[in-house]
Amino acid sequence: MTENPFDPIILSKISNMELRARLIVDGALSGIHKSPFRGSSIEFLEHKEYSPGDEIKHIDWKVYARTDKYYIKQFEEETNLKCYIFLDNSGSMGYKSTGMSKFEYASTLMASLAFLLLKQSDMVGFISFNDKVIKYIPPRSRITHLNVLLNALAELKPSGKSDVSNILNEFIEKIGRRSLIVVVSDFLDDTDKIIKQLKYFHFKRSEIILFHILDHYELTFPFEAITYFESMEDERRIIAEPKSIRSHYLNELNRYLEQFKQSCLENQIDYWLIDSSTPLDQALIKFLMRREGSQHSITKFFK
Amino acid sequence: MISFFNPLLLFGILGISIPIIIHLINKKKAFSYKFAAIDFIFQTNKRISVKFKLRQLILLILRASLIAFLAIAFARPFLKTFSSGISGENVPTSNVIILDDSYSMQYTNNRDSFFKSAKAAAKEIINNLTKNDEAVVISCSSSRLQALPGLDYDKNNLLNSLDKLLPTYLSVPITSTLDKSIEILNTSKAPIKRVYLLTDMTKNGWNTDWFKTGNERLRNCVSSVHIIDLSEDKILKNIAITNVGSSIVTSGTNVECRVNVTVSNFSSTKAKELMVQVFIDQKKIAQGFFNIESNASETKEFCFNVEKGINHAGWIEILKDNLGVDNKRYFAINTSQKLDVLLIDGDPKTNIYESETFYIEKALNPGLEHASSIKPTIISVHEFNNFELASFDIIFLCNVETLPFEKIHELEKFVKGGGSVVFSVGNKVDANYYNNSFGTLLPNRLYTIKTFSSGSLISEEQPLHLKLVERMHPILNILSETDVSTLSSAKFYRIFYVDPTPLGDCKTLLSFSDDTPAVIIRQIEGGKSVLFTSSIDRDWTDMPVKSFFLPLMQQLCKHLAGNVSEEILNEAMVDNTWQISCPNNINNVEITNPEGVKTVLQPQLNYNEKSLSYVETHIPGIYTITVDGKPLPQFPEYFAVNLNTIESNLSKIDKKEIAALMGGINLTITSDINESGEVLLGEAKKTMWGTILLLTFCILIVEAFISRK
Repeated sequence: MTENPFDPIILSKISNMELRARLIVDGALSGIHKSPFRGSSIEFLEHKEYSPGDEIKHIDWKVYARTDKYYIKQFEEETNLKCYIFLDNSGSMGYKSTGMSKFEYASTLMASLAFLLLKQSDMVGFISFNDKVIKYIPPRSRITHLNVLLNALAELKPSGKSDVSNILNEFIEKIGRRSLIVVVSDFLDDTDKIIKQLKYFHFKRSEIILFHILDHYELTFPFEAITYFESMEDERRIIAEPKSIRSHYLNELNRYLEQFKQSCLENQIDYWLIDSSTPLDQALIKFLMRREGSQHSITKFFK
Repeated sequence: MISFFNPLLLFGILGISIPIIIHLINKKKAFSYKFAAIDFIFQTNKRISVKFKLRQLILLILRASLIAFLAIAFARPFLKTFSSGISGENVPTSNVIILDDSYSMQYTNNRDSFFKSAKAAAKEIINNLTKNDEAVVISCSSSRLQALPGLDYDKNNLLNSLDKLLPTYLSVPITSTLDKSIEILNTSKAPIKRVYLLTDMTKNGWNTDWFKTGNERLRNCVSSVHIIDLSEDKILKNIAITNVGSSIVTSGTNVECRVNVTVSNFSSTKAKELMVQVFIDQKKIAQGFFNIESNASETKEFCFNVEKGINHAGWIEILKDNLGVDNKRYFAINTSQKLDVLLIDGDPKTNIYESETFYIEKALNPGLEHASSIKPTIISVHEFNNFELASFDIIFLCNVETLPFEKIHELEKFVKGGGSVVFSVGNKVDANYYNNSFGTLLPNRLYTIKTFSSGSLISEEQPLHLKLVERMHPILNILSETDVSTLSSAKFYRIFYVDPTPLGDCKTLLSFSDDTPAVIIRQIEGGKSVLFTSSIDRDWTDMPVKSFFLPLMQQLCKHLAGNVSEEILNEAMVDNTWQISCPNNINNVEITNPEGVKTVLQPQLNYNEKSLSYVETHIPGIYTITVDGKPLPQFPEYFAVNLNTIESNLSKIDKKEIAALMGGINLTITSDINESGEVLLGEAKKTMWGTILLLTFCILIVEAFISRK
């Protein structure tokens, strides 16, 4: 049986985030059979050796003069989108049952999205946070910007308490109109406040996508033995017999998820609940295909 | 009040610490786990933590109580209550503990005998008595004793008297023991009086008639009766040898012995191919196989030869079953017991039927061979001169006219030395000659001949008949009622009147219908003389053809020779007195029982006869008789003592029947020996461990249900 290379367990063995992102994006795009590239370039990007069929007007004669070889000038594609990716870096994101932690999963997903967007010459900004901003990288559209993002990701380790609404509040004024706001978090926070803050972005005609990353164990609570459950963000701990509380836990969780989802729907927020055990390519394909079939305006960013 | 039979097991209650420790360890060992969505657990736990903790607490309590109840159940608790309405541990009680010691209690049921189990149960009763309880231990056989054992508070004394009890070989009545119990308990002032009866519940000991009057006495006296059925309510099987009868036929140097063996099957199944073995003088000499239907008997005869002139002892044996004591039955054969009788015919005839001794010879030895133990020898008066008197036991002078003077003198010496002489008269007898010549031997002087109707019309006097004078004399007491009734049928046409004054120590045994003595016996030093005042042939009477003639003559000879009867001689029942007449020259006899215990007996004088009475027949087996360490000639060397096999029938008495007989009495009957300890304590102690075990089981189910939930 062939192993799925996008399985989080397999991916967790690939330490190079860029390689992960490329692997996922290529796989995802080949899956939807759509070219991610479109539009014209206005800003020089790099040189490429000439090959028959290339337009002669793009031959850089200065380089020809120096090297006696034909090189074509390549230009940065035109972009008209600024995407801000908010990555939750709180302690709870460090939880993992098997394979990848939520943070690793979210990071990979974020990298994949960034790679996808940068390939489309969109601008990608990055904010990692817990209850405060840990890292902010302004949006850029160069493909090399990906390395900046990946380097930033590599430095991050989940810690601290999460406060999504506060961070969003900080960036309301900083982020311009018609932006794409992507929030990747486990949203183990006050969702009402989060929705309230996201509404402001919505007023600014920004598109909002929430990737709600939860671990499989968080979704199923499969524990058996009596356990001291300890918080990953503070000092709280509680002893519980999982068997006896499982059904109540799942009821609470599902009620919370349903409410959150409903709130997102009411506020035209694109909400994606992802189990961190789901192979990333599948999650991405599912997302892209939904977006493709959707009338939502953000769809174009991925075509 | 709750007490325990095994209080040490209560230490098991400490085991409740096990679930508590496990609970604490589990709580401590609960591993820590960092979990992101802990807020949901907090939210959930808020609602169910109380329920969870409560469930944990209930489980802990259930598990701890499970162990505690198990420990309590194994400690066998009981509740002390008192039926008389008085409660409290210090209420004094009087207890009579009766052990059925009949031989059926020797039945073994894969374990110990019932009797041994009964003793163990009795010991438990004694050990459970308090210092305020008095008790006495009696056996059913002890009810025959006159002196009553007393109630005792000292447990050691009670245990000692219990240890001394042994199973008997008797069939003993239970009901008469209840009588004794009432007598004993009537001496006590304790408010609670109890009777414990440990028995196998066989029917034999229960005399139902006793309860017609005994029930009220028992009810008025005792608070309760507790019966422990040692047979555990099981049907008991048994096969027993119920009778052995032996007879001997002498032939040449050998004696053919015929033993009739009756084996009874007291079981509900047929006994197939049951081997029966015959042992003589410790050697197996014959065997046979019996097929006996259930609750039936079968008799077979075993024939074998034994050496003549020797006393033999033997037994019949069947294979062992649960009740072994009735698998053997003993017998003794006395082949040396041969009486030599000399018949001197004073009126011999060519036609032997007309001879004076024809009928007496046939009476003493009716068979062609010497089938009887009496050997008669017939001679004429002339031949008498050549005979040694010492080789005979008894000499009959049958219508003898005269004897040489030397022989008369010899005859006197013979009688004084222990021999016996019998005079029968006839037409040749002259009263004067007899009175002068045999005056030292005759019981009475002869007077004159008296003739009665002989069928002719001349005489008007009717013939005389015989009548009993000494019915209980050993010569006459063996006669059956039929024989006695035929005494009067014999007609006597001519008799000798005798002088009414006896010549010595005389006794008239039989007389004629006119009260004239017919048979007179006289003790002369060591010997005896008998006078029959009519003829012993048919000249003067028809007595010789009457049915009583044969047993009368045989018994006369046996008595004169010192033997009363073979039956009494050879066998006695356990605990029955064994009696035998013995020669006058014996002063001390030593009897050795089967266990080798020797008893020296001195003969007692009864009817001028010496006889032995032996009462120590407590054990079945062969008893040996010796005089000065040796068997005595003309005297049995052995006698057998056997069981009265009525007890071999192990049919049970129904509990309902007992309950009906003991109506109105607080009665408990238990058949479970394992529970006897509790039940033996009677109404005062009610067991609880069954209830607690049930409760424990319920707790187990609840615990399983809650822990699975």
